[in-house]
Amino acid sequence: MASLFKDLAKLSAYRDRRFNGTQEEFEQALLNSITVYIGNMSFYTTEEQVYELFSRAGEIKKIIMGLDKNSKTPCGFCFVLYYSREDAEDAVKYISGTILDDRPIRVDFDWGFVEGRQWGRGRSGGQVRDEYRTDYDPGRGGYGKLVQRELEAQRQLVDYGAGSLGSFPPVIPPHYGRHGGGHGHGVSNRHGRDYHRKRHRDDDRYGRESSKRNSDHESRRASDHESRPEKNPRFRESGDSDDEEEDDRKRRP
Amino acid sequence: MSSWKSLLLRIGDKSSEYNSSSDFKDHVETCFGALRRELAHSSSEILSFLLQCAELLPHKIPLYGTLIGLLNLEDEDFVKKIVENTQNSFQDALDSGNCDRIRILMRFLTALMCSKVLQPSSLVVVFETLLSSAAITVDEEKGNPSWQARADFYVICILSCLPWGGAELAEQVPEEIERVLVGIQAYLSIRRHTSDSGLSFFEDDESGGDVVEKDFLEDLWERIQVLSNNGWKVESVPRPHLSFEAQLVAGKSHEFGPISCPEQPELPSTISALSYGKQKHEAELKYPQRTRRLNIFPASKTEDLQPIDRFVVEEYLLDVLLFFNGCRKECASFMVGLPVPFRYEYLMAETIFSQLLLLPDPPFKPMYYTLVIMDLCKALPGAFPAVVAGAVRALFDKIADLDMECRTRLILWFSHHLSNFQFIWPWEEWAYVLDLPKWAPQRVFVQEILEREVRLSYWDKIKQSIENASALEELLPPKGGPNFKYSGVDGQEKPEQEQALSAELSDKVKGRQSAREIIVWVEENIYPTHGLEVTLSVVVQTLLDIGSKSFTHLITVLERYGQVMAKLCPDQDKQVVLIAEVGSYWKNNAQMTAIAIDRMMGYRLVSNLAIVRWVFSPENIEQFHISDRPWEVLRNAISKTYNRITDLRKEISSLKKGVISAEEAASKAKADLEAAESKLTLVEGEPVLGENPAKLKHLKSVAEKAKEEEESTHDSLQAKEALLARALDENEVLFLSIYKNFGTVLMERLPDASSDVTLQSLKSIHGDSMAVDLEESSTMEVDDENGIPKKSQSNGGKATNTYTVREKEQWCLSTLGYVKAFSRQYASEIWPHIEKLDAEVFTGDVHPLFRKAVYSGLRRLSNEL
Repeated sequence: MASLFKDLAKLSAYRDRRFNGTQEEFEQALLNSITVYIGNMSFYTTEEQVYELFSRAGEIKKIIMGLDKNSKTPCGFCFVLYYSREDAEDAVKYISGTILDDRPIRVDFDWGFVEGRQWGRGRSGGQVRDEYRTDYDPGRGGYGKLVQRELEAQRQLVDYGAGSLGSFPPVIPPHYGRHGGGHGHGVSNRHGRDYHRKRHRDDDRYGRESSKRNSDHESRRASDHESRPEKNPRFRESGDSDDEEEDDRKRRP
Repeated sequence: MSSWKSLLLRIGDKSSEYNSSSDFKDHVETCFGALRRELAHSSSEILSFLLQCAELLPHKIPLYGTLIGLLNLEDEDFVKKIVENTQNSFQDALDSGNCDRIRILMRFLTALMCSKVLQPSSLVVVFETLLSSAAITVDEEKGNPSWQARADFYVICILSCLPWGGAELAEQVPEEIERVLVGIQAYLSIRRHTSDSGLSFFEDDESGGDVVEKDFLEDLWERIQVLSNNGWKVESVPRPHLSFEAQLVAGKSHEFGPISCPEQPELPSTISALSYGKQKHEAELKYPQRTRRLNIFPASKTEDLQPIDRFVVEEYLLDVLLFFNGCRKECASFMVGLPVPFRYEYLMAETIFSQLLLLPDPPFKPMYYTLVIMDLCKALPGAFPAVVAGAVRALFDKIADLDMECRTRLILWFSHHLSNFQFIWPWEEWAYVLDLPKWAPQRVFVQEILEREVRLSYWDKIKQSIENASALEELLPPKGGPNFKYSGVDGQEKPEQEQALSAELSDKVKGRQSAREIIVWVEENIYPTHGLEVTLSVVVQTLLDIGSKSFTHLITVLERYGQVMAKLCPDQDKQVVLIAEVGSYWKNNAQMTAIAIDRMMGYRLVSNLAIVRWVFSPENIEQFHISDRPWEVLRNAISKTYNRITDLRKEISSLKKGVISAEEAASKAKADLEAAESKLTLVEGEPVLGENPAKLKHLKSVAEKAKEEEESTHDSLQAKEALLARALDENEVLFLSIYKNFGTVLMERLPDASSDVTLQSLKSIHGDSMAVDLEESSTMEVDDENGIPKKSQSNGGKATNTYTVREKEQWCLSTLGYVKAFSRQYASEIWPHIEKLDAEVFTGDVHPLFRKAVYSGLRRLSNEL
């Protein structure tokens, strides 16, 4: 109502470059959309958390987690589809800029989900913004991808002793569950640590296939956590024989 | 934005436009100077922007009024247009029943009167028009008293103008204003006192039945009388026109033409209690009471305010909340920067909470107020968080009396609020709830907040957040994993055969077998040998387990294999078993239970009636007073049903528009065709009837298409209307079922109806109150006036440890609370079916407390019987 202050021209600060159409069509799509885009999420935030928060704006039809196109793990964004436009508007008005999982999230109108938009568009598979970040963001896989590669390169030149780790931000526990959680190491070692993340429903059936890879990976990561991308526990990694995840997404309209 | 615009917009604010000056006189002069320069070439732009500002920033109306008074000295015609414009908007608002606009335009007219733009007597005429409409409405013979809500609203509007112009009116037209006040007094004597026990935040204390609480109008009337006795002095209303009085008197006063109030709807031809009740409900929906005061702070926090200042500040705050919904920054800055010379944090908190908890519905979604509270905590970090915490404590102390719907909103708000502030809360203050029985409302409240916190975050994080009262861990929800019968661990003693079947089914799903293939497999291999119970258990548990990873996994499984469940559970009885299986699989996770059942209803695998039956199954009934879990499922089922009906109504209304335009298009096309056909054309020198053939052919096909279009929209409208009719019938069945179930379970547990039982007496039936540890209660004094226990500083909230309600009584209290909450929330959907409900449920032998809960939720007068 307060049209006096609202800059109506600015529906969304973000113009999707993949949108096939004119600026007018793009704006029209935003004006009628029942889909919202949520950004700056933690990689560890689950669909159920999103559901709890966003269902307070209205009945939710679907949630589509944004995934790293290589690892098939959440990479910090998602789409929420409502049944009504009004609810989508309220989600934008009331949730944008508030905290979810300790992070201020961004909520914008989205022109509508189409297959393919769930994948990160960054060179390394995640979101573009995570390529070039130079800060250390534990909720989003540590350093940006570029910095990680840089660190990786340095590491190959010099073998750091454990002592030098002190100069890096706190260690994220290397492993959080689902993938091989309950296989090879107990649950208890993940608790009581400052940076432990997330509860999980342990999912043995899905964990089994990747557990071998994981534990192998994990033993390496214990020493080079700072340069490795953090793995999200709630999703299987790429290369699993079971590609149901991917297939699920394809079934969407 | 051009500078005159930003000056208009920012007038009265401490802002750069005005060099951070806070002197209203400066502001008015600066702004007036800018407007005067622009008036010649952009007068129409100024006019519309000025009116817009006045309507959307009503707390600045005195400033705008003064500006217009000064402009009146420069350009009478410009101001004449403003008055005419306002008159038209005002008449429109009256005709369409736009309450906010009526109220604000009346304040604007009052301000115009103060700055000599309007004659005081013109304003009095407006008052008298409204007052006489109100008096007719409540007249039993000439009017329609069921529409008292509108009459009250008109009178409230008149009274609401007086803080802004009472002094001027009393000085300039003392007799006329006195006449209006006498008229209002007379109106008050013939109207009915509104007793809205169905909408009060707290369950009425029935023991003090003689003290009737004043309703909103009576309360405002009293405040106005105090104001009048004080010589109309109001601190909270700025009076900038006084500084310009000498100039303003020279202005020409403009005419304000007559206005008219719409007629009230006719009384129904057959006057019955029911039709009266229905009309009253309709009127109250259209003219809702704006706010309801939530008195949660001790009077000492706000008592230095004059009664009228409280009203004025509430008006300011409610208007900012109304007009700045969606503009976070402006909303917060206007909320904290009101033009009043006193502090009002407590009043602000009470007002926001009164909106958050307003019954039946707040003007906006509760989440809006959550956001406002967060923003105010950030805007006033030194003052507001403590006030909010005080409000929470005050509400917590009275939680057992708080309305059930309000409790639910409070839980959702508080968990969300804390999630935005690192989940920090002095939980140790509430650790004592562990000593209370598990049905004690305070304990349930804490437990439900923790449940919601875990949903917004995660278990370990919330556990960490209650470290300062680690005993409360006991109230955390279970750690949330699924309870899969066939997981093959934990010594689950399931027959190996079932285990194997589950594994086989799981493989089939992984092998991408179709739903049909699986149905065949189930029907041939499981059902015949194992029977329904085992089949259902294996299929449902296994599919749920496959969908257990996330919300998306769940809906994928239901989309793909829902048919397998549907095939097994074609009727209500089996659907109840199906839902029970969901409840068992997700017994450690209330959220997933609710989501899974909700989605199953979405895919029509289970009906709302089956859900109701499951909610009223013995294991859930046992939880009615100790957990929100069954209620969440019931709420979802009703709201989904309601949403479906709302969608149908929306589609129908847009189809109706479509039909009209299709009809118009069709008749136009037909007319075009006929015109063309009857036209004489020269063909080869001879006059022939009809246009040239090609054009005729084209017109013909256009006409045919338009006709087809018309018919098809007609058909789809009919189809939707049939769907709606069916949905409404189903809704009737749903409410019948809900009320029958409530009636039965309550009848079984409430004390004998003959024994004159009241809610109050339920609370005071103590089993062994003497045995309760009274050691703490000596430190408590109860402030009898407002019933708020004064807590002793040293031991936190321990004082409230005197909770002695027994389990069965608390079960009844909680369940009755939910009956009232559901009835109120869906009153508009229930009223159309009231005859049927009266005949089948609310009959003579229904328990009086149950009837009372329903009636007060529907706001149905019980003396209409």
